[in-house]
Amino acid sequence: MKSRFERLRAWFAGQTSTSASILVIGSSALAICLVGSLVLLWTGGFTPYESLLASIQSDRQGVLLWLAVALGIAAVFWGWRAFRRMPTKPAREATIAGAVLGIQAVVLSGVYLWFRFGKAEIFTRNLLRFDRLEGLGGEFVTGAKNTLILALSGEGIGIGIGLVFGILIISKRRVVRAPARVYINFFRGTPLLWQLIFGSAVLVVGFGLFPRNPFMIAIIIIGLNAGAYTAEIFRAGIQSIERGQMEAARSLGMSYLQAMRYAIMPQAIRRVIPPLTNEFVILIKDTSLVVVLGLTFAQRELLAVARDAYSATFNATPLLGAALGYLVVTLPMIRAVTWLERKLRSGLVGVGG
Amino acid sequence: MNPDGSLVRLEGIHKWFGANHVLKGVDLSVMPREVMVVIGPSGSGKSTLLRTINMLEEPTDGKVLFEGTDLTDVRVDLDHLRTEIGIVFQQFNLFPQMNALGNVTIALRKVLGLSDEEARERGQQELGHVGLEGKADAYPSQLSGGQQQRVAIARALAMRPKLMLFDEVTSALDPELVQEVLDVMQRLASEGMTMAVVTHEMGFAREVGTRMIFIDEGVILEEGDPREMFASPQHERTQSFLSRIL
Repeated sequence: MKSRFERLRAWFAGQTSTSASILVIGSSALAICLVGSLVLLWTGGFTPYESLLASIQSDRQGVLLWLAVALGIAAVFWGWRAFRRMPTKPAREATIAGAVLGIQAVVLSGVYLWFRFGKAEIFTRNLLRFDRLEGLGGEFVTGAKNTLILALSGEGIGIGIGLVFGILIISKRRVVRAPARVYINFFRGTPLLWQLIFGSAVLVVGFGLFPRNPFMIAIIIIGLNAGAYTAEIFRAGIQSIERGQMEAARSLGMSYLQAMRYAIMPQAIRRVIPPLTNEFVILIKDTSLVVVLGLTFAQRELLAVARDAYSATFNATPLLGAALGYLVVTLPMIRAVTWLERKLRSGLVGVGG
Repeated sequence: MNPDGSLVRLEGIHKWFGANHVLKGVDLSVMPREVMVVIGPSGSGKSTLLRTINMLEEPTDGKVLFEGTDLTDVRVDLDHLRTEIGIVFQQFNLFPQMNALGNVTIALRKVLGLSDEEARERGQQELGHVGLEGKADAYPSQLSGGQQQRVAIARALAMRPKLMLFDEVTSALDPELVQEVLDVMQRLASEGMTMAVVTHEMGFAREVGTRMIFIDEGVILEEGDPREMFASPQHERTQSFLSRIL
């Protein structure tokens, strides 16, 4: 294995003047579009929105964008004609990269230019008034906390239900399988939004449960919903274990449930961690649906905080704050899934533990 | 003990997989301390036959008598009786999440109810029996195929079974790893273990087997002393099978 430095040197050595030029043109097109615009907006100031708007509509911004478009088009056309004739692989790859970066610069600059010709004033005033986020920080933190509580307890209930129902739906006895199937198909087949609306009526009116605590109701219904999906994940995980494992366990005198407990489930659980984490990321975002239940002030999750701030001030900028909140929670989880999948594939987590 | 003095007796075993008639009325007895070798072409039903002995395959029709108990009777405590019949598989089927000692001791603790201490002691002893005393902490993925298969043998032996079944246990091994497994089996035979062995290892069948059975298309065509059968097979299909394989 060559060192990173050696590989970099080989890459440079493989370049021709043409490939280097195309790469420089393409990347500077994108840099002008992204970095240039950001510096321009930054120096003009993001707040108040009037100065932000002034930067957006300034001639300097226009020049930057048209320059990026021109350079981008140049990189695309030149790169497209040149890449086949490049003598080395690094040169060819650099040429292609320059052209692709050029396309990205053209598209992004084009969208920005389109936006400038449109109703930039109204948009900026309603959606980009970042001063309106001041003082909302604490509420967003509470919102993120509530979002996580909803998702974590929902997932907790879901895993409990999923473990049991995942085993029930692979029973060889139809009387065991059928009711589990009905529950799973019902909760997978109807929208979570419907389940929250109808389910809260069922729980409050029908059973007299938690009449003043929509948060608890949300947790229960989210948990039931997650249970259905989790059961399917566990079913797939269990069925992915080789038949010989069950045979080996049974041949040692274990009962079916012992074989599940000691031989099958430890392997199945390890295999379902990535899809389970994936499902958890989806669940985090789906908790936003509980806004329909009318949470109390302290119970509001991210979207409810943003929506309340929106209705109070008639300014939609807080929605961007909510998006930031969701990303702060979900991005590490998404990274964790990728990491876990790689580890599991390389077999490093496959043994021990 | 069955009435005829055998440890296991199969009576009129039929096995259907869907429309496929795999075993067509097999009668067979395995006597104590016997090493019964089962040979036959692929698809002949020899593995299925072996697996009906511990009811991993339920026969469609017929009886499996083990020490006077009919295993096909639904009232029988099959889990308990399976502890007395060990089986070793072609694909090892070790539990990958446990180390070698864990594989050998899991059923001792959870099925036989031995204490952790007793189980560990017996587990170490059985690993030593198959020549793997130093590998107790190794996980299956860290062991060679031959070592994994020996752990699987130790796992079955630790239950102190009265009968051991071997289902083509060397077929998934690299050629240079076959002998170490056969050596363990040969030693086991010399210690007086009752064994039923499905194999393609004709040398082993001849040297270690006390009786040999040739099965084809779900029927036992010929049985007898392995050396005699190799020297002068009676049935024409036995002759052609042996001439192709030797």
